[in-house]
Amino acid sequence: MSTETHHTSAVHPLDDPPLFGRDLSFHEVTELVAGHTEKKTPTAWFGAFALANAGLLLLFAMIAYLFWNGTGVWGLNNPVGWGFAIVNFVFWVGIGHAGTLISAILFLFRQQWRTAINRSAEAMTIFAVMCALIFPGIHVGRVWVAYWMLPIPNQMEMWPQFKSPLLWDVFAVSTYFTVSLVFWYIGMVPDLATMRDRATTGLRRKVLGALSLGWTGANRHWRNYEKTYLLLAALATPLVLSVHSVVSFDFAVSIVPGWHTTIFPPYFVAGAIFSGFAMVVTLLVISRRIYHLENIITIGHLEKMNIIILLTGTMVGFAYITEFFIAWYSGSKYEQYAFLNRAFGPYAWAYWTMMFCNLIFPQFFWFKKLRRSIPFMFVVSITTNIGMWFERFVITVVSLHRDYLPSSWDYYTPTWVDILTFVGSFGLFFTLFLLFLRFAPMVAIAEVKYVMPKADPHFYEGHGDGHAGEAAPELAKATTHTS
Amino acid sequence: MIELPVLPSTIPADSTPRKRFWRSVQHLEGDPAYDAFTQSELMPSAQGSPSESNRRQFLQIMGASMALAGLTACRKPIEHIMPFARKPEDLIPGIPLHYATGTDFRGALRPLVVESTDGRPTKIEGNPEHPESNGSSGIFEQASLLALYDPDRSQAVLRQGDGSTWADFVRFVSERNPGRVGVVLQPTSSPTAERLVTALLAGRPGSRAVVYDHTLAVTDGRRVRYHFDRARVILSLGHDFLGSTDADHLHNSATFAMGRRVDDGAVMSRLYAVEAGYTITGGMADHRLALKPSEIPAFGAAIARRLGVAAGGSAFDDHPWVSAIADDLRAAGSAAVVTAQRTEAAASVADAINAALGSVAIERFDAGALGRTIGLPDLAAFVREVAAGQYDTLVLLGANPVYDLPASLDFAGAMAKVAETVHVGLHVDETAAKAGWHVPQTHFLEAWGDGRSFAGTLSVAQPLIAPLYDAAHSAIEVLALLAGSVEQAGYDLVRETWRPVLTGDFEKGWRKVIHDGFLPGSGFAPAAATPSAPIMVPEPASGLEVLVAADPTVFDGSFANLSWLQELPDPVTKVTWDNVAAMSPATASALGVGTLLDAGIHYADRISITVEGATVDLPVWPVPGMAADTIQVNLGFGRQIATTRPERTSPFWDTDSKTDIYGKGAVSTGVGVAVSSLRSVAGFALSGATVTKSGSGYLVATTQDHGALPDEGAEAMGRGLFRMATVDEYRGNPEFVRAGDPRIIQEEWADYPALWQSRHPSDEPAIKESPYFRNQWGMVFDLNACTGCNACTIACQAENNIQVVGKDQVSRGREMSWIRLDRYFVGDGASGSPQMVVQPLPCQHCENAPCESVCPVAATVHSADGTNQMVYNRCIGTRYCANNCPYKVRRFNFYNWTKTLPESLHLGHNPNVTVRNRGVMEKCSFCIQRVREVNKRVNVENRSIRDGEVVTACQQACPAGAITFGDLNDTESAVSKAKRNPRRYELLAELNVKPRTSYLGRIRNPNPQLEAGA
Repeated sequence: MSTETHHTSAVHPLDDPPLFGRDLSFHEVTELVAGHTEKKTPTAWFGAFALANAGLLLLFAMIAYLFWNGTGVWGLNNPVGWGFAIVNFVFWVGIGHAGTLISAILFLFRQQWRTAINRSAEAMTIFAVMCALIFPGIHVGRVWVAYWMLPIPNQMEMWPQFKSPLLWDVFAVSTYFTVSLVFWYIGMVPDLATMRDRATTGLRRKVLGALSLGWTGANRHWRNYEKTYLLLAALATPLVLSVHSVVSFDFAVSIVPGWHTTIFPPYFVAGAIFSGFAMVVTLLVISRRIYHLENIITIGHLEKMNIIILLTGTMVGFAYITEFFIAWYSGSKYEQYAFLNRAFGPYAWAYWTMMFCNLIFPQFFWFKKLRRSIPFMFVVSITTNIGMWFERFVITVVSLHRDYLPSSWDYYTPTWVDILTFVGSFGLFFTLFLLFLRFAPMVAIAEVKYVMPKADPHFYEGHGDGHAGEAAPELAKATTHTS
Repeated sequence: MIELPVLPSTIPADSTPRKRFWRSVQHLEGDPAYDAFTQSELMPSAQGSPSESNRRQFLQIMGASMALAGLTACRKPIEHIMPFARKPEDLIPGIPLHYATGTDFRGALRPLVVESTDGRPTKIEGNPEHPESNGSSGIFEQASLLALYDPDRSQAVLRQGDGSTWADFVRFVSERNPGRVGVVLQPTSSPTAERLVTALLAGRPGSRAVVYDHTLAVTDGRRVRYHFDRARVILSLGHDFLGSTDADHLHNSATFAMGRRVDDGAVMSRLYAVEAGYTITGGMADHRLALKPSEIPAFGAAIARRLGVAAGGSAFDDHPWVSAIADDLRAAGSAAVVTAQRTEAAASVADAINAALGSVAIERFDAGALGRTIGLPDLAAFVREVAAGQYDTLVLLGANPVYDLPASLDFAGAMAKVAETVHVGLHVDETAAKAGWHVPQTHFLEAWGDGRSFAGTLSVAQPLIAPLYDAAHSAIEVLALLAGSVEQAGYDLVRETWRPVLTGDFEKGWRKVIHDGFLPGSGFAPAAATPSAPIMVPEPASGLEVLVAADPTVFDGSFANLSWLQELPDPVTKVTWDNVAAMSPATASALGVGTLLDAGIHYADRISITVEGATVDLPVWPVPGMAADTIQVNLGFGRQIATTRPERTSPFWDTDSKTDIYGKGAVSTGVGVAVSSLRSVAGFALSGATVTKSGSGYLVATTQDHGALPDEGAEAMGRGLFRMATVDEYRGNPEFVRAGDPRIIQEEWADYPALWQSRHPSDEPAIKESPYFRNQWGMVFDLNACTGCNACTIACQAENNIQVVGKDQVSRGREMSWIRLDRYFVGDGASGSPQMVVQPLPCQHCENAPCESVCPVAATVHSADGTNQMVYNRCIGTRYCANNCPYKVRRFNFYNWTKTLPESLHLGHNPNVTVRNRGVMEKCSFCIQRVREVNKRVNVENRSIRDGEVVTACQQACPAGAITFGDLNDTESAVSKAKRNPRRYELLAELNVKPRTSYLGRIRNPNPQLEAGA
């Protein structure tokens, strides 16, 4: 099936610059991607997996410690009722934005470069949302009745309180997670079938056979598949925007100075895309190198992501400044105090960390040289996620620690349990991501193929009989052909 | 269960005469046996089980067995509920009974009414019918409930520290001639104790009774009662008459609040406070002058001179305040009063000025023999006598001299020289550890007693419960045993004392006294003013001075083992679980010490304070407005109480051992530093102290000031949280509080819709049709009356089962108090002499409660009677409500505080209030259990609730009457009237949360002469 071509509007125009570094053949793409799941597991993978698993165990240990003793093991206090748990939740949900944005929105906008990165970005999304979902579950005081947040019919005839933004969160995030998961899986079916066809062992064939849902590559399959994919993309697109808007309502709907802000929904979405793209860059810069995918995930793709990082970083920076302006313009002394306190209060270090990481550092991407520099973009992608974590910290903790009554002002310091739980959540994330790299096609093989020059029906015009033959016209430069 | 139609057992008669098809002859003939056969599912041999039970029976029995087996696995322990075989009279299980009793505090009886639920005392309140009480009570009476259930109470008679029995002690006493007896006791007002001490000493030459208190100073038994409501100008010379440690602070607070009334054209009094430390009296003052302790008498003398009273010295004569205050006092004439601690040199100044002015605000009594205390020189002489072996028997009744007396006297060493020492006390304390005999003392709720109130009204203190520990006996029982060598019951001893007192039918009179709690008309006869002694004031000393004071939360240490009081923030410093060396910021920086604020926690430097060879080591605490070169240290800490409870150990994954305040010995063990050893001289002020820095980084847990201190006060005033004006401003503009309303938008707040206004719960039919809807509860705090004495906080703690979390958790900001007192320093910066204001803050019960709309599980909801309620068993603990509460009055159970609570403390819980579990939010409920109690009563009596019928715990305790609670639907209720007061404002009203709680702005009455100069 690897030589099939498809008449789709997504075909890359032949006169555009090529999307991939070297002019790969279809077979080479398959080999590059599927081969990694078939070869013997490298020792390095085991090393990384062991490390990630240690983090995962740490997460479980911290959760067990928390459940046994109570919320008191965290650094929370009376004014600061939400700390690391909520910060981490918003952080991970934010990271979980990039994948679906890349797969769905960029798909609808026909951004063909997305095909190189969408699969791993989507995987990252799902794993990040899984990390995020842990925190609202464990942060409640009585975890054994946390399910009361779900609308389950019960003998008490009690429903959740639908006015509460926390409840909206439950729906928004779980919907987003479900749709993202389905979207990711549906998109993977043709590739799973490719891997199934290449499988050499019985078990592998059985598992992949079950997962690929009987895909044969029939024309009818492709037609249904593409329609489904398009519909799911359309369904996922509003969710990308809604989920973080709803998360921001947790804050915006309250009356805490620094939270009660109408700018939050767009500002949170921009921040989420910002952090999500940064996370994708962090992961891909490493994995494209290790898995020798430089020709598929090219520097051009990374540059495009850096442009989005620059754009969204500037947007959040603009939001920070707008907040200050509005605090002054509102005339509300509580708002004014809250923002001055952010910048110059006891948590000024957190605020300026956020400002530098989110607003200043991405500005270097105005320079083409820097946004094409692998080491530089790696550093900025890391600082962006540090900055975005601190953004949530600043919003959540710094607003709470000094609100209306000065008598209640206090300071929040995380405990070792807070910190190790956060570290542990990375353990969960990387455990899942490493499993994904090992067992799933980390690049959307089929999608890459149909934006390759060879997928163009006119590609072979003037070359023999229009079929790939002994002359191996695939090796010819795509740029030499015109339609 | 769905009943399915059962197939008929026989086929109904067919209209056709014959069946066309048949299976057998029996079928054809319609044999009933055949029909039965076709109806059964199985062949007859396979039918039924050998035990002859059918399928249904089998399932029933199995189901029942499974259910029974499953039940045993349920978490709740099996409790046997048994009826009273013989029901005590008047007792209806679950309905509390109230008994009048009383307890001694500083030699004066505080009349009390104690609630008893099913035989357990559960709440202590003032006796509202007592002529000297308006039903209010202070923190010590409130917290003495906890003393009854104190898990560290002494439980057994000890002989040389080893377990013994009461019978052994009785045998010992009856077999031994006590010889010369020395009796040491704390001031008491009990006529029975006085009678028995006299009996013990009589006929035993060389015997002596010694009474001392924490002041270690002479009091001659003369008592002065101030009626501040009769005074227009009040001058306090270092007298914290509003503070919880004053013997008469309830009366003082009540009359002071009356004198401060401004509404309806009342003339407001003016208070000048001259003091060294910062007290709540200083906080209430219109003018407060901080002077060193030794300067205060001299300052008073200067005023006396200005008023024409002969007084030596010439210090302060040109002080601008002297002429201003003297002029004001003179102008007020007999409506002026000067107060001073009775044990201070300033007292003679005060007496002279009051006499010269003919003050009508003063009443004098003589408190009798046991109200007189001896001073340090006499105590030292007594200790020398003890050490010299002049006594054969030493009896220590409730006194703890090993802890109280200066270390230089070496009382413990002296005790060892006495053949036999008998200690009677609630704890195996410092003195008990050295005594030959220790007898556990009964709590006042366990034993018969009597006493006289501050003005002398006689009371019988009746017990409410049998002693929790069999060995416990009251001081009078031990006295009687020692005096007569025979065991006598406290009941008989008290009755014997009272026989000559009650005229007429004794039994009738006795029963009436017990029922009422007092004998009317039995007050002290007024004593004449002693002729004014020539005023002798010491010259002001130079150099550092140390002011030793009884702690406003644990007093002299006798309440140190009560966790409620340990966790109660000091009204000024807000420090819990510690005593500190308080000094002005300027003095601290001059000494090169201070505190480091790191991550919201104060780490204090420690200093060694040395006075005449005695040294104590304390953490430093800067207090704005304290006198320069003065260090205040509080008594009552550094206790060493033995306990029989094992130390808690828990595995590494369990935090119980870290959060359990009862897990490491007695509650007071390791808390603070004992400072009584410093006092080699009498009184409160020690001069000639030297100070060296001895350490740093000592964590001090406070409930406020987690940020820089002056900012908070300035910010609070700038935000209009605390509104005040001078009396002239108020007369000019009675609605001055409106100026404090921030104007962010132009709409009327009431018209501005809230987020969920259109479907507000109060519009729901379920609420409107509820019978509770008739009453809409509201509360008003009069900031002009509230002194910040903390009584409300402890009363609330007792009423609502509020748990104590310990120093570590307080330092993490997790204290649980439902009503707190926000203290702000205002004006003048930290270095000058800032004013202190206090604002009580419980849940405001917003009508548009921001907490309610954010709870995802509807665990906090609005009641039909307009209160904001917490449904503990619905709460899942998201803490969103606390985040969204602008007043931050919600408290979260970060741990299961009751998991490690000793068993005895569970007995004191109010059964009408849920004890909260780990992980739920809690907060003030407007004492909803009390409201519902009255709801039930009026429902039975078929009437409506009368104004004042529901009294919240805080309101009941408040000695100043600063809290008004009632029904807002009743336009004539006290709370409705208070809401119409022009001084009324709501905290953060601009948030449109519509709080049900209002505040009345505070009014100051400054002297224009001083105001201009200041």
